Amino acid sequence: MSTQDGRVFTAMIADDEAPMRDLLRSRLQTVWPELRIVAEASNGVEAVALGEQHQPDIAFLDIRMPGMSGIEAARRLYARSHIVFATAYDQYALDAFEQGALDYLLKPVSADRLATTCARLRTRMRMQAQAPAGEDIGEQLARLTQLLEKKAPAPTGYLRWIQAQVGSNLRMISTREVLFFQSDEKYTRVQTAGAEYLIRKTLKELLEELDPDEFWRIHRSTLVRVDAIAEVTRDLRGRHMLRLRNYAGELEISRNHTYLFQQM
Amino acid sequence: MRASQINRALDFLRDAFREASKLWWRFFDWVAVVEWRQLMLTWLFVFIFCGLVRTPELGVWFLFISLAVKVLAGGKRRAELMAKEATVKADVANLERRLMEAQMAALQAQVEPHFLFNTLALIGQLIETDPPEAARVHAHLIEYLRSTLPQMRARDGGTLGKQVELSRAYLSIMQARMKERLQVRFEVPMYLHSAPFPPMMLQTLIENSIKHGLEPKIEGGTVTVRAFVAGAILHVEVCDDGAGIDLHADEGVGLANIRERLQLLYGLDAELIMHAIPEGGACATIRLPYKMMEDA
Repeated sequence: MSTQDGRVFTAMIADDEAPMRDLLRSRLQTVWPELRIVAEASNGVEAVALGEQHQPDIAFLDIRMPGMSGIEAARRLYARSHIVFATAYDQYALDAFEQGALDYLLKPVSADRLATTCARLRTRMRMQAQAPAGEDIGEQLARLTQLLEKKAPAPTGYLRWIQAQVGSNLRMISTREVLFFQSDEKYTRVQTAGAEYLIRKTLKELLEELDPDEFWRIHRSTLVRVDAIAEVTRDLRGRHMLRLRNYAGELEISRNHTYLFQQM
Repeated sequence: MRASQINRALDFLRDAFREASKLWWRFFDWVAVVEWRQLMLTWLFVFIFCGLVRTPELGVWFLFISLAVKVLAGGKRRAELMAKEATVKADVANLERRLMEAQMAALQAQVEPHFLFNTLALIGQLIETDPPEAARVHAHLIEYLRSTLPQMRARDGGTLGKQVELSRAYLSIMQARMKERLQVRFEVPMYLHSAPFPPMMLQTLIENSIKHGLEPKIEGGTVTVRAFVAGAILHVEVCDDGAGIDLHADEGVGLANIRERLQLLYGLDAELIMHAIPEGGACATIRLPYKMMEDA
């Protein structure tokens, strides 16, 4: 079958969940029987590869896919294919789409909505003939990427897990569990409420990688978790001592770090 | 050598001073709160004792000092001690409140709207493409909701067996969505099914494994749930061969909530341990004191 100018339109479906691909395919067959589905991808990387190989007129892309997100894939494919995003309920993505002129489908895809989208695609493709969208779409995709990244708390870059070798196991200690780090001669001691570990990472390296708001240096050889601090006292020799919650001992605060506790 | 000797002597002096002051304050507290009648009785004994060893001045000093303490500081000190006791009580109440809050948070976090919505969508489309599969997923969803919705939860929700059942239902639904990208293995011996185990912890660990371990990985992988007893400790383990732990990603509310609840329920007797698998992937283990069944 073909459209007025005798051309058969082609499409690709990309979604990591097979049932979703099945549904979209069967719906497309009902609302647009002439459309030929030339490829199906189950992740972002595959979508880009198949998209470049088959150069479909339309690419239906799920936004959340392993390997590479649908938006990232779209940025590589939009020059040759019309992009239609498919997304499950996700307010942030929807807001982003409402602002732009990008096509999107809400999953699970209803036949009515798909029919409207397909009708619009047909007219647009006939009008533009072979000249696909240009700069404008690229800009919108860039904005969309930004919007979605802002929503997902991007890793801050600070170290959040400490790795310690325990026997043959590589133990992962969340920094939220750590009470303090103390440098020994060769190792650094990691103290949690219930246990103590030795790691090879030096205090200097830790100081560079940890969140400075999460851990304070109170002594040349001690880094302490701010949330764990219970109180500061002075002992008989006039030294400032720090007591921690869930820990019996005391830590010494060296003279040039006492300023940290001036307001406490 | 000399310096170390001096240091040792200083250390001894400091310790002695510390002990003495501790003893003095204990005496002070005792005098402050003791009944007058009892105090007078003590004076009598002290006088008899001092008379026996012929040092009446000591007895007079004792009487004088304790009388002074009692009169001058008694009321204030007693109030202080009572306030302290009240604080301890408040701390216990506070602890109980925190436990309740943590449990509430766990309950509310249970059924993620996203999950419910996606599963319903899946059922809706399976009805068209694969009705028998739709019926299966539908049954799993009902089972899952029955054990997660607080209003519907059965009395014996707190056993490992119940938690495993719930996780099986959840994983079956996820398998219907992820197909061959998700493999599941359970290694939980029958005799451990009756062991008490806090609700929604296993579930959180499994969700984490799928979300952070398998979903980002193109080829997916296997989630293994394992339980065993070593010594008197019950180990419940969730392992995956997925993407592994991102060293720069915060541990998230789920794990923090488990840790908080374990601490409130078991103190230092329970722990949540994460470790990385050299071939890729991560393991989370909950260890807590093993009991054969819930107390009647």
